[in-house]
Amino acid sequence: MKTVGITALVPPELVFACGFKPFDLNNIVPTSDVRPRNKLCAWTAIWREEIMNGKLDLDSLVVVAGGDCHNALVDGERAAEKIPAFYLFYPFDGDKDYLKSQFERLSSFLGGIIDPEMMKTVKNVKKELIKLDQMRVRGMVSSELGFQYLISGSDLQGDPTAFREELSRIPQEKGDRSSMHRVALLGVPPIHHDFHREAEKLGLHIAFDEMPFEFIRHTGASLNELARDYADYTFARELKYRFNFLEEELKRRRVDAIIHCTQFACHHTLEDGMLREYLQYPTLTVHSDLPGPVPEQLKLRLEAFSEILWRRR
Amino acid sequence: MIRYGVDVGSTTAKIVSLTPELRYRIRETREWETLLEGIPSHEIASTGYFRHKIPHRVAATEITTAIYGVREYISDPEVIVDIGGQDTKVIDVQRNNFIVNDKCSAGTGAFLEFIAHHFGLRVTDLSEIHEKATRTIKINHTCSVFALSEVVSHLVDGCRVEDLIASIHQAFAERIAQMIPDDAGEIVLIGGTAQNRGIIRALEEILGERIYTPPNPQIINALGALRYGEEREEW
Repeated sequence: MKTVGITALVPPELVFACGFKPFDLNNIVPTSDVRPRNKLCAWTAIWREEIMNGKLDLDSLVVVAGGDCHNALVDGERAAEKIPAFYLFYPFDGDKDYLKSQFERLSSFLGGIIDPEMMKTVKNVKKELIKLDQMRVRGMVSSELGFQYLISGSDLQGDPTAFREELSRIPQEKGDRSSMHRVALLGVPPIHHDFHREAEKLGLHIAFDEMPFEFIRHTGASLNELARDYADYTFARELKYRFNFLEEELKRRRVDAIIHCTQFACHHTLEDGMLREYLQYPTLTVHSDLPGPVPEQLKLRLEAFSEILWRRR
Repeated sequence: MIRYGVDVGSTTAKIVSLTPELRYRIRETREWETLLEGIPSHEIASTGYFRHKIPHRVAATEITTAIYGVREYISDPEVIVDIGGQDTKVIDVQRNNFIVNDKCSAGTGAFLEFIAHHFGLRVTDLSEIHEKATRTIKINHTCSVFALSEVVSHLVDGCRVEDLIASIHQAFAERIAQMIPDDAGEIVLIGGTAQNRGIIRALEEILGERIYTPPNPQIINALGALRYGEEREEW
C-alpha cells in the first residue's frame, strides 16, 4: 500500500478508500531532534526538512493549504520538489459544494476511489475514538493516554483495523481525577511530547484537546457526507465560528480553565487576545518553539496556573 | 509548624521569619545551604527556581508567593510586577492571569547586570548614576546584546555614561510596560530591581500611574512563601 503524507486534517476515509495509507507528518515532530536552518513554525519546518532529506518513506504529499497556515503552504511547496503534492483548500465560508469539488480533485490525485467500504470502516473507528474521548472527559482515562490515541485520529496509524483492535484493549486507568482542574487545550497541539503527563502531575486534567477532537468528530461514508461534515472544520472557518463552537463544547465538558497553545511565528499567537476576550475562562497561554520535553520555564507556568485555579475554588 | 519562608532564585537566596518582627537574610544563590543550617525542613515554605530542590514542607511558585507577600502591605493588589534575575513576571491578580518573560533577557535583572558589568559599575549604583542624567536617547534594539552594541556606538559619538544609563532604564521600562495590562490600576513592583529609582520613574512616566514599591522588595516572595505555608497548614 502506498503512503501519502498529510500535513493537517485530510479525510482518512477518502485516503484509505483510494487505496493509500495516510501518514500524519506532525506525529514525527514532538520527538524530533531536527533543527531546520530556515524556519518559522517548527512543526512545518521539521516535516519539510525530513522530506527534503529523504528521511520519510512517502509516495506523495497532501498539503492542507487553506484552513491550516501559510507556513504549511510554503514548506509544502518546498517539499513538493521531492515528491508529488496536492494542495487542499478548505472553504472559509463552509461551502459544501466547493469542498466536495476539492475532495473529488484529491481523489483524482490519488488515482480514484477503489474501495468505498473503507469509508465506513474509518467511520466506525472514529466512533470508538469518540467513546475514548468521553471516557477521558469522565476521568476514566488519563490525559496522556487519551491524547496518545485521539491525536492518531488523523491517520489511524495507517491501519484502521489494527488501530481499532488496539483501542479495544485500552484499560480504564485507576486514579481519582475528580479533584483535578478540568482543562481545555486549545490551539495547536503542544510540541512537547510529555506535555499531557506533566500537566496531569501538576493537577491539570486535560478534558478537551481541540485539534484531536476535530480529527475524530468529522467523518462520512460517501463523498457527499464527507463534504457536508468536513465543511464544519472549525480551524478553516472564521474565528467567531470556531469560538462559538468552543463555547458550547467547553460548557458541555464542564472545563475550569483553558490552556491556549501557540507556536513561534504562528497565527494562533495573534488569535490569543481574541480568544481570551471571547471565551471567559482563566487562560494560560503557552508559546513554544522547538520540540522536546516540557522545559522548566513551562513547568513553572503550569504549576502557577494550577495554584491560581486552586485559589479560585 | 512553618516558621520560615525561603526564596532561592537564579541570583540570590533569601530567608524570612516573623518572630514576631520581620527578620531576613540574603545570600548568593550558590550559598543557599548556609541559610538553612540548623533549620528543620518541616519549618520551611519554599519558592523560587530551587523551590523543589531545597528542603521544605510546602512549596509554591513565585507567582503565588508574590501575591501573598504583597498582601502584607496592600490588601487588594491589582497588578504585581516581579523583576527577577532571569525573568520578569507580570501578575494580573484581579483576573487570575500572569505573563512570564523568559525568552529574552532585555527586560530582566540579567540585562542590568550585563550593562553594569560592561561599564565597570555595580548594579546597585545604576540608580544613583541615572540621577545625574540630563537627557535620554532612544535605544531601538530589543535584544540585550544588540542594545549594548547600540550603546557603544552612542559612546563613540560622545554621549555621557549617565545619559546612556538613563536611556537603558527607559528602554528597560518600555519593555516591561508592554507586559502590563492597559487598564491596570495600582501597580506594585517587587524584586531586587524595584530598588532602582530610575526604572521606577521611567515606568511611572510611560504608564501614567504611580508605582508602589513595598519595603524590602527583594524579600517579598520569601515573605509570601511563609504566609502561604502558614495558610496551607490550616487547610
